[in-house]
Formats: sequence, structure tokens, C-alpha cells
Amino acid sequence: MYLRKNIVTQLAQALVLLAPVAAFGADQEAAAEHIETVSNYCFDCHNAIDWEGELALDLLDVSNVGPDAETWERVVNKLRGSMMPPPGQPRPDQETYHQLVGFLEDELDRAAMEHPNPGRPGLYRLNRVQYARVIRDLLGMDIDIAAILPPDTTSYGFDNIADVLNVSPTLLEGYLAAADRVSAIAVGDPDFPPEEANYSVSSMLSQNKHIDGLPLGTRGGMSIDHNFPLDGIYEFNTHFLVNSLEVIKGLQFPHQFEVSIDGERVKLVTIGGAADYTLMLENGAASTESVENRTKVRLAVPAGVHNVTVTFLEKTQALDVAQLEPFEKDNFDPVYVGGIPSVARLNIRGPFNSRSPSEITASRAAIFSCYPQLVSQEQACAEEIVASLARKAYRRPVGEDEVGVLMDFYLEGRESRGSFDAGIQMALRRMLMSPNFLFRIERDHPEVASGESFAISDLELASRLSFFLWSSIPDEELVNLASSGLLSDPLVLEEQVNRMLADEKSDALVENFAGQWLQLRNLDGATPDEIAFPDFDENLRRAFLTETSMFFASVMHEDRNVLDLMTADYTFLNERLARHYGIPGVYGDHFRRVKLDDPTRGGLLSQGSVLTVTSFAHRTSPVLRGKYVLDNILGTRASDPPDNVPALEENAADALDQESLRSRLARHRADPACSSCHNIMDPIGLAMEKFDAVGRWRDVDEGGEPIDSTGQLANGTPIDGPMDLKAALVEDPEMFVSTFTNRMLTYAIGRGLEYYDMPTVRAIVDNTADEDYRFSAIVQEIVKSAPFRMKQAAGDDPGRVVADAVALTR
Amino acid sequence: MMIFKKALPRRTVLQGAGAAVALPFMGAMVPALTAQAQTAAMRPKRAGFVYIPHGFIMTDSVDWWTPTTVGRDFEMTRTLEPLSAFRNQMTVVSNLMGADGSGQHTGATTAWLTDRYPEKTQGADIGAGISIDQVIANQIGQDTIFPSMQLAIEDITSLLGACDSGFSCAYLDQVSWASEDTPLPTQVNPRTVFERMFGGSGTAEQRLARMQQNRSILDSVLDEAHRTEATLDAGDRVRLGEFLENIREVERRIQNAERRSGDLAEVAPDSPIGVPELYEEHVGVMYDLLHVAFQADITRVFSLMMARDLSHLSYPQIGVPDPHHSISHHADRPDVMEKHHKVNVYHMQLIARFIEKLATTPDGDGSLLDNSLLMVGSGMSNGNQHTKTRLPNVVISGLIEGNRHIQVDDISRTIGQLHLDIAHQMGVDIADFGRSEGRTVGLS
Repeated sequence: MYLRKNIVTQLAQALVLLAPVAAFGADQEAAAEHIETVSNYCFDCHNAIDWEGELALDLLDVSNVGPDAETWERVVNKLRGSMMPPPGQPRPDQETYHQLVGFLEDELDRAAMEHPNPGRPGLYRLNRVQYARVIRDLLGMDIDIAAILPPDTTSYGFDNIADVLNVSPTLLEGYLAAADRVSAIAVGDPDFPPEEANYSVSSMLSQNKHIDGLPLGTRGGMSIDHNFPLDGIYEFNTHFLVNSLEVIKGLQFPHQFEVSIDGERVKLVTIGGAADYTLMLENGAASTESVENRTKVRLAVPAGVHNVTVTFLEKTQALDVAQLEPFEKDNFDPVYVGGIPSVARLNIRGPFNSRSPSEITASRAAIFSCYPQLVSQEQACAEEIVASLARKAYRRPVGEDEVGVLMDFYLEGRESRGSFDAGIQMALRRMLMSPNFLFRIERDHPEVASGESFAISDLELASRLSFFLWSSIPDEELVNLASSGLLSDPLVLEEQVNRMLADEKSDALVENFAGQWLQLRNLDGATPDEIAFPDFDENLRRAFLTETSMFFASVMHEDRNVLDLMTADYTFLNERLARHYGIPGVYGDHFRRVKLDDPTRGGLLSQGSVLTVTSFAHRTSPVLRGKYVLDNILGTRASDPPDNVPALEENAADALDQESLRSRLARHRADPACSSCHNIMDPIGLAMEKFDAVGRWRDVDEGGEPIDSTGQLANGTPIDGPMDLKAALVEDPEMFVSTFTNRMLTYAIGRGLEYYDMPTVRAIVDNTADEDYRFSAIVQEIVKSAPFRMKQAAGDDPGRVVADAVALTR
Repeated sequence: MMIFKKALPRRTVLQGAGAAVALPFMGAMVPALTAQAQTAAMRPKRAGFVYIPHGFIMTDSVDWWTPTTVGRDFEMTRTLEPLSAFRNQMTVVSNLMGADGSGQHTGATTAWLTDRYPEKTQGADIGAGISIDQVIANQIGQDTIFPSMQLAIEDITSLLGACDSGFSCAYLDQVSWASEDTPLPTQVNPRTVFERMFGGSGTAEQRLARMQQNRSILDSVLDEAHRTEATLDAGDRVRLGEFLENIREVERRIQNAERRSGDLAEVAPDSPIGVPELYEEHVGVMYDLLHVAFQADITRVFSLMMARDLSHLSYPQIGVPDPHHSISHHADRPDVMEKHHKVNVYHMQLIARFIEKLATTPDGDGSLLDNSLLMVGSGMSNGNQHTKTRLPNVVISGLIEGNRHIQVDDISRTIGQLHLDIAHQMGVDIADFGRSEGRTVGLS
């Protein structure tokens, strides 16, 4: 049977991947040596009586790790991270230690070859960020998805884990609302009702300088791309930042305010000056209203996406009061009436007196692949449009019956509202609610027995690829290759992966993979204390995100060694961020690549983004930073804190007494329940103490004491400061590369990694070593791997059954 | 009593930052529920559940939550003080136990309304128990547009990594569970909530047409999902089954909304513009929406999380720039305890504003508060130690006798006994809930 044979061939290919090192049975003599090591250094705690960490190694067989692979993978993880034996306890010499880990890994890999398990992700549902990208790729339009769909929960650090992407009424209502809105805007529904869109900027955005993306010669303001649903009249109401007295700041001097659409100025008006100032002194609210009335714009705009900017013309450098302010942040004093006006919000209302789009909008271009001139052409054209959209949305060729269902809705819209467009709109709205759109359905092969593995189909592979690299649907080329069965050809696949990485849509990896792996998304919620960090403003927050995003993207697009993420000698800066870091010679708000002369600033762990999301609002947290490095850089699982112990003693840090953080942490580590992990985490975090809670370099701590950043890592390496730490973290490159691989594989397949995936992770690391751990090499290996290409047929998970059986015998 | 067709003209309110935001914007707007009888006998009962993370100041040596005296006329405490205007509607229930064990914050959040331990997992086997708000909603919420609403203030998308190790973040992200394996997501954007309540933009006719079209779409989707389901294997079928069930639920909601579309158009205030930048405003708008939802019988059950466990939210506006979670680990230092206490009091003050609104809004012959029951509290007592015994919870309601402190006799009695009692007070006749073993705490 051809299909069967094909599956078996692919399985064999995958197995080769699983077994980079050919092993021919455990060498009994070698095993004996390792048994001795384990018994000498581990049995003291991990035995059937003490059962430390719920682990009894004396009951397991070192020479036959296969049946207890799950447990042994835990052991390997701890050993790789030098977590065990705990610091302070006797350890074997380095060579014996490494030989033991190597032996265990080889044995585990060998055992996995005998019982391969590519795992089985659940039914994938489009998550919120994917939904927005799919709409962009399908219909050429952006939507504010956060205002429509609820956020998705995260497991294993990512929001695309199939098993926990469940369905709720709230979510379905969101999908209904999204389908209605998207279809109406995309088609340009002539009955689209007037509504108000609000674009706010943070009150923490400093607007005393030019902001990248706004016209040169301006200061402050905002730039947005708004999708105007119809030709019509729109109102643009700008609201300015007011202080706690409801007064716009800086009205004593005149300021030139302008509104532009697609770069063309549509309004220039003076606000402030004698009249406004006098009115402000008499009646603050009235002056605010007067200014906001004067800055209103009402004009006709054609349908489609247009760029709208509201900003101020830059004045000459005559010394304004604002120039004398001591902080970077320009909006500091809540009752101050001096300074300069800032934009707080732009409301766009409309359309009024609307009519159907006169020009072809991007979304109409994406939809109307044909357009009927005669009523008699309508049916055929509608079928063509609907079938083509469905093929993209369902990510596969669609059947006649599926098109038929959508055509029923076309007809219903066509008849009830009397227009071809209304019919297409209705069909599109229905399509966006289809389970075949909202879920990524992968089907089992009837020929494959429960528990056996099979290769997913080419079309399923196309979707896995596109959702991995683009967070979106496959494009025409992928679907075509998959439909003709060519995609799984190794050469074709490799070529496609390279094409996809080069495509700008791979920015999804930056936003969604790096954004979550490195917790960059948490920057949005970071609120550094304004007393401790008076310079922290929205501009800096944005700069942090831009720096790390561009940095990660550079490693991806230049196909660098992923270790460069830790050690690069360059970064991306604008003036604001360069000043923050104390790097001279960078002017202007736009970002550019900067070679770093001071190596302490190289790599992720010295970037403001990472340093801020691993700090508290008012000070650094060595424990948070240590844990971040363990979780995301070293990939070592720390044990849970013991029950009913305050999680972190350091938290009481702001007490009146002057005991330093370092000594409090030391006291904490004296408690044996805490020490086994904190002895490992704390020195890492303490080595980073010379970066403050917003990533500036410092020599004294919050209390004015000189910072001592010395310590000893778990494996005994003495370190002092971030340079030593960085060197130590990449000393064994496999640590970082395997964490990177682990995280990326999790994201790629949308499920948590299990013990049976660890041989795959090790194989990817081994296979990419010769390629200098280039970014694309790791991606290629992930795409080739069994967990990505294959799936276990539904049924009992044999690995799990064995592990459970072993657990029962204890 | 006068019933206005429209008590106030619509106002453009809730527009972003600034002290002038009119928090009680909806409070003055008595809904003209012309279609509904306004007799006291017919006024529905409502229930709300307000969650506060990280516990209170309840250490071994000081307890600023639990009244020192038991029974009637209990002695008010520092933490409960902001609610003291409602003493006569207040029942403090103390000494109940939650879910201890690993997953220190996970257990607190999960058990607060379920009285169950969370399953330690990040995968498909995620599970706890149905929550009491859902049990109540299943019975008393079926005639309203939303059987229940789940709201929160914090955006979980910037809380990566802020979860107990080994547990899915789902356990911390919400307190309501539709069933033992289905947590219900929360909504944080007031504008989205508003649009769900009142049906989005357009004229009343457009909104009605939209609802009818949605129903016809869902009918067809239901067929398609059934056909698709048949071709899937068992595991994937479960997820699609969930989809099918929810389609039916949403269809029912739309039917209810269609019936109400006329009178709701009358009471709809202007839409909030989005997520306010300031915490206090955000909380205020969410409560305003809930207030209207109770008043206009859009829902009868809600849960709201004032914050989420393990969040780093800080409160500089009240002089607490430190993250809430870290000061909850105050290590018994008096100055840090005061800070934690400040946050606790602040939350209580914000909740008191909502209760005040319920108390001053007519409903039948009495007020909304007379027909409502709120449970306010936390899944931990001493946040410093993650203690999950002696849980701090208070019931505020005009439906039961207040001015009482009930202290259960045995600290191994679980919070499910309070849940069971609340269900009974809401007229939901169940024999058992969570680990209650059929016992109640004696609300009356």
C-alpha cells in the first residue's frame, strides 16, 4: 500500500534525526562506572526512604534508562544546569560529571529510537494574534483585535498551546462581532454606520521632541493608519493632555498644531497665546474646550487605509520653560500649567453622508478577483470569489458542498439587500465563523493504528509551517505545493522555509516568539516608579521594545549564530536610548545599528527591555533576574518553592533598616528549603546588579551602597559582574542553544515538550553545531523533526503508560 | 415611583484621563424598563463575586481583617472599615479553608469559587471544578442576555511568566469555571463589554438585523460543525464539541437579546472609549457597566477580579509604588504590612462605591442591593505565607440578615460551605458543592 509505505519511509527519515549518535547497547563496563557515580553522589537523598524531590534513584536502573525515560530526563536537566548535587554537597570531578550526563543522554536517545513518539498536539484554534494576522493576509486589512476578542491564556510560556485554547461563549461572541465588522469594512458596506474610533497615546509619552514616523520639523503627536470604511465625511477631534486642573499645559505661548492625511496638511492652527492664556486663567475647562473646538477637522476622505498625523510644528530653540525641565519625561507635574501642549487622543468619527468606495481599497482588491458587469455574470463571479477566499481561509482546496454553504449566504445577502457586494459580504461573514477557518484540523490516517506514528499531510504541514513562521495562513505558493504533494520533498521544504524566513511576514517570529520567550510583551505592563525613575517615559518603553525586536530580527535576517543573542557587539539605538545607556554620538529618534565599544552592553541580558521586565517597579530583583536566566537562557527547571514559605525573602526590601539586599538573600539561602535553588538563581541575579531596574549602569544600589556583583555559579565558577556572567552562560554553547531550541520547538508545534521530545532537542543542537548554530539551521531542523512533521495516532500514549506503570510499582 | 422613559440625556462621559470623569454616569440613569413589571415580588435576585489577590494582613500575631467579636454587632476591623456603611447588610464569614498545596497562588485563585484543587498541569488535562457563580448562573441567569459576566482589570497579555511553575496560567487568569475543565476568560476592555451588552454601533434596526443574521449564521455553522465533528478522532472531537455547545449557548443569548433590543436601546448610555489609563477609572467604569447590567437585567451574575495573583501591579496613586505581590510577602515588617494594608483598603473603598450605587438604585420596592448578594474576598488569608486557612470573605446583601460575624467552629471546614449557602440564598437548590459535604455556614 503506497500510503502506508510513504509513512514508513518518512518515519525512518525522522528516526535518523532522533539518533545522531549511533549507539549499540549500553556498554556494561561503562554503565558500571556511572552506576557508581550515581550511587555515590545521588543516593544519599534520592533513595526509596528519603525520597527527596519525590525521586528514588536507587530503584532505577542506570544501565537501562528507557523504561524510566521521563525520570532520567529530569535528572539530565538538573545535571545539565549544574543544579545537582546542590551547591555545598560533594560533587564528582567535572570530567566524571560530564561523562555521566553524556552517557545518560546517549542512552536516552538510543531508547527513544526504539520507541519513537512524535507526540500529539490538540486541535489548534486560531488565537487572537493569529486571527489578526490571518485577516491581514486574507483581506489586506488590519483590525484592533484586542478590542474584539478576549486574550488567550498561556501555558508553557506561549499563547498558542493547542491543549488550552478552549472555546467559551465570550470568545464565540467575539468571533461573531469580528466576522460582522471585518466583512463590512472589507467589502465597504454602504450602510456602515457612523462610529467613533479612539486612538490614545500614553500620558507618559514625552512630546517635546521629534517622534519617529512623524513629519520632520514637528515635535510630539501621533501617527496612525486608519481604515476608512467608506467614502464620506469624517470628523477628526484631537484631545490634548490636561493636568489635574483640566487645563492644557503651555497655553501661555502660541504653538502651531497641524493635522495631516497621507502626508498632506489639512489643518494648521495656532493654539495658546494671550487669548487662550487669559481664558485659561479665568476658566480652565472653557479654554480646553475652545482649543479642542478650533483643532477639529471635518472633511471628505475616500475609503481605504490612510495615514493620519496630529502633531506640533517644532519651534526654534528659544528657551522654552520645557527646555529647563530636569527630566527626560516632559509631563511630570500634575498641576503645572507651563511647559508644552501634548496630544492625548485622536477621535475619528464617521462616515457621514457616506457612499460606496470610489477607489479600489486594498481589501476590495483582495476580495474581488472578478466583478460582474451584468446580472447574469453574478452567480459565476460570486462562486469564483467565494471559492478563492475559502481556499485561503481553510488553507486547502475546498469542496463543492463547502462552497455551496457559503453561496447560500451570498444569495441571502444578495436578495435581502439587493446588491452583489452585500452577497459577498454575507458569504465572507459566514466563512469567518466556519470551524474549518477557526480551527486547524489535522486528520488521523484510518490505516494507522492507535499509538503509532504517521506523517501529517502536506496541506497540514503547510499550515504548521505558516503558523510557525508567520502566525498566519499559508500563501498561494505553499498551498499549491502542498496540494500537488511536493511540499514534503526535503529540498522543496528547505527552500520554502528559507523563502518564508526572508519574507517580511516572518516578523511574526519577533513579535510572537521572541515577544513571549523573552517576555517582551510584559513591557506594556511595566510601570517603573516615577519617583525612583523620573526619566522613564513612554518613549523609553517603546525604545526598549524596538531595540530588542530589531536585535532579534537582525540575528534572524542575517542568519547569525543564535549565541550572538547573548554576546553580540552591536545593538540598535535611537538618541533617547543611547543617552539612557550613556552612549554618545547617536542623534534623532530613528533607530540605527550601533557598534558597541563597551562590551558590557552586548547581548540580550544587557538590554533595557529584559532588565526592566525582570525588575520590580521601584528596584531591581536579583531573584527575578536569576529565575529569568534559569528559565529562558539556561533552560533549567527550578523546583517549586516549598509550600507555605514566603516566596521571596527579598520582598521586604524596603524596610526601614538598612540591611542590604545581598545580605537578606544570603539569610534566605541559609534555609535549606530555599538554598538548593536560590544558591543557583541568586548569584546570577546579583551579577546583574550593576544594571538598575530600568537598565542603566550604576555603581551604587538604591540605598547608596556600592554594589558587590561577585558570586559563584552553581558549577563553582567564580564571577564578578555581567561580563563574567555572559561568558559563563555561553561557555557551554549547548546550554543556550538547547534552551533556544526547546522554546522554539514548543512554539512551533503548539504543545509543551515532554520527556520523549528531549532526544529531538538534543539532535537539533547536535546537527546544527557544524553550522555554527545559525538561526535558519535551527529552524530547518525543527521543521524536519518528528514532532513537527509527524503525529501519533489517537489512543493511549505508550510512553505515558510505561511511566505510569513504573510509578505504580514503586 | 416615577419611571422615566429616559432619565438623563446621553452624555459623553468616560473619556480617558482626568479627574472630571463622571464615575456615577449610569447611576442616575434609572432604566425605563417598560416591558418589565416593577413589582417587588418579581424582581430577580443577583449575585456578584469580587476577587482580591494576595490575601490581607492576617499573620500569626496580627489580623486586620477578622473581627475580634463573633455574632451580631461585631467589632469593625481596619480592613473592613470602608464597607462599614453597609454593616447592616454585611456578614463576615471566617475560619473557612481553601486549597492548600503546591501552586500557591494557583490554589488560592482556583479554589476561591470552586472549592477544588487545581490539577497540576499546563496541558489538556487542566481542571478544577465548576465555580459557584456558574452553578447559580445556570439556574437564575437563563432569561438574561448574559447568564453571567466575567470581568477583570489586568491585561493578562503582559503577565508572561507570572504563573506558578508547572501550572497553566489559565488557573490564575480567571476565577469562573463553566465546568471542571473549562475556565471562562475575562474581559478587561470596557468598550468591548459595552458593545456586547448593547449590540455595537448602528441603529436599533441595524442591531436587530445583525442579531438575526448572526442566528442564521450560527444555525449553519452548527450543521457544519456537526458534519466536521463526525470526521474527527475522539480527542479533537471534545474540543469541537465544546464549540458546538457554545454555539447553542450564544444562539440562546441572541434570542434573549433580540427580545430585549427595544428596551435596551432606551437605556444604553454612551460607549466608554476603551481601557482607561488609570486603575481607579478602569475599576469605576467596569463597575458602572455591571451596575447597568444588574439594573437593566442584562445579567444577574458576575465575577470581577480587582487584580490577578502574582501581578506586579503597583499603586503609586495611594503611595504604594511597590508591586502588590511583593509587599504581600511583607515578612512581618510593620512598614511593609502597612503598604499591603493600604492596597487592601483601597480595593475595599472602590468596592464600597459600587455597593453604594447598588444601595441607592431603586429596584422594585427597594434597592438593587436589597435584591443582590456580593461575595468579596480572597483565596488566601496571610499572603506572606500563602496561607489558605481562615480565609477572609464577606457577604454583602440585602437578601440576608447582616451585621453578623460568623466564625465556623472548625478550621477544616471548606469555603465550599459558604458557596453552598450562597447558592441556597439565591434560590438554587443543590445538596452539595465542592468539598462542602453538604454543610452550610448559616447565612440567614
